[in-house]
Amino acid sequence: MTRHEAAVAPRESATGAIYDLGYRGYDGPRLGRRAAFATLFWASLRAAFGLGRSGRSKVVPWGLTAIMVVPAAVAGAIQAIAPGGLSPFNYDNYLWDLQPILALFVAAQSPELVSSDQRNRVLSLYFSHALARSDYALAKFGAMAAALFILGLAPLLVILFASILASSDVAGAAGDQLGNLPQILGSPLIYAFPLAGLGMAIASFTPRRAYATGAIIAVFLVTGAVGAILSEAGRGRMSQVAPLLNPFVLLDGARNWLVGKSIPDSPVSDAHLALPLFGLLTAVLTAIAIAAVVWRYRRIAA
Amino acid sequence: MPLISTQSLTKRYGSSVTALDGLTLDVEPGIIGLVGANGAGKSTLLKILLGLLKPTSGSATVMDMDVATRGPEIRQYVGYLPEHDCLPPDVSATDFVSHMGRMAGLPPAAARERTAEVLRHVGLYEERYRPIGGYSTGMKQRVKLAQAIVHDPKLLLLDEPTNGLDPAGRDEMLDLVHRTGTEFGIATVVASHLLGEIERVCTFLLAIDAGKLLQSAPISSFVERTGTLGVEVEDGAHALAERLVAAGLTARVDGRSVLVDCPDERPYDIVRDAIDEMGLSLTRLEQRRHRLEDLFRAEGRADDAA
Repeated sequence: MTRHEAAVAPRESATGAIYDLGYRGYDGPRLGRRAAFATLFWASLRAAFGLGRSGRSKVVPWGLTAIMVVPAAVAGAIQAIAPGGLSPFNYDNYLWDLQPILALFVAAQSPELVSSDQRNRVLSLYFSHALARSDYALAKFGAMAAALFILGLAPLLVILFASILASSDVAGAAGDQLGNLPQILGSPLIYAFPLAGLGMAIASFTPRRAYATGAIIAVFLVTGAVGAILSEAGRGRMSQVAPLLNPFVLLDGARNWLVGKSIPDSPVSDAHLALPLFGLLTAVLTAIAIAAVVWRYRRIAA
Repeated sequence: MPLISTQSLTKRYGSSVTALDGLTLDVEPGIIGLVGANGAGKSTLLKILLGLLKPTSGSATVMDMDVATRGPEIRQYVGYLPEHDCLPPDVSATDFVSHMGRMAGLPPAAARERTAEVLRHVGLYEERYRPIGGYSTGMKQRVKLAQAIVHDPKLLLLDEPTNGLDPAGRDEMLDLVHRTGTEFGIATVVASHLLGEIERVCTFLLAIDAGKLLQSAPISSFVERTGTLGVEVEDGAHALAERLVAAGLTARVDGRSVLVDCPDERPYDIVRDAIDEMGLSLTRLEQRRHRLEDLFRAEGRADDAA
């Protein structure tokens, strides 16, 4: 194969003289599948927050992130003004209390990550590179989980810094808060993976954004509502177990088991079930969701 | 070493549709035209070579690598331009091509540098920083070509690269394809249902029909065999054809036209004289564009004879 190095010659165009240096080959390193996976992961994580996209794509993710953080910031400010006042939020109940925002983020951004590649048929290009189909699925899932982790971690960090700064003994407070790190990191981690799995599993099945968003919201609404209704209307054991239908109840139970304390307004303690069961069900839910996404991308035509 | 080689490659969709039917071929590097009607199996063949589709039976190798076992390795050295739209509207051409360069294994700096180069090569300048959604079809095709060559592939698979373009856009795209194949030295397979396009840019022709290989020859030999003069007259096409056959030419009637095989210059004078002497009213005299139908018709006749 020969490559002709074209002579350096100016070519006139609308934008002025273009110095055409001719086509040059590439003899540098070609990174393989792993690099492609990392590239897709980072690009998708950026896309989840609309980075590198138009201003319009940033409105929803940043709006939701702001709504997620504001209550923590306000509570922190009140603590600073009136020290000793009891904040309504702590590391245990924050994500539970703001679960609608997490659900909306999943519903709005999961289709951004997967449905648009299907609608615009970019998948053919991805699959014609070194990337395996399961790599695509896992990179997208990982990116969504990372985005949710960031979304959940941000307000907890605000609570952390607010309580450190509000205390008279900053160094001492910082030391005290060190013990809360498992909660601060663990809670958003526990929330991120199952929610990302759920969002990806639903969104990857349709190229239509609106359908995906609607379906995800519907799943959260229906599971939450059915769980609540059955627990109100049902009797005995049934009413205690029914809230398990709601994925957020599972997540709170798993969080309760692994890193935190029980919170009063969550049905977890009323269910009178062993906490590890919540953890197990959360893990099962996550595994099923990931398997569904991988299965979907193995089958999808490209 | 053949660039592409297939052995009784068969692909069925479901039980009824056969896209490829025992296709066996060997292709040497060059600019290869893959021609066939819509549904002849062109896209299916390209997708199997890329490993996007699994063949039902048979095998294929690209650059001596088996597509069944070394797909990821092959794909590192192959660029692909799909037939359909494949660009996200909300990303700029620069961002998208560089992203695809990195997906193909280029380190970040190399991806940026090569993106700037290939976008200049395909003729995208200031507009490359704007979201692709606002591009014309011609510009989108250029972006598709740019993402296919950003990683300097050894083999380029182009599926209907002129799809949706106006005549001027077609010419420009074909020029680009030709440059890519010759000046850039990248072995290229161009799939098209337009024989005229294949003729213009390719050095070798593969014709497939209903998943079977119809023709496999250098373009030059192919053109000689099917050079045809179309003579359209008001009436008397049959009489003209008979007279031309009597004069020793190969001629046949096609509607109001007589198609005359022209292996050399000789038939032109005979046709002119015949029309003049018969007093026919000549509507049109044209060097027939080699159309796919002609190729397939010719093959069909050969089959009938055999």
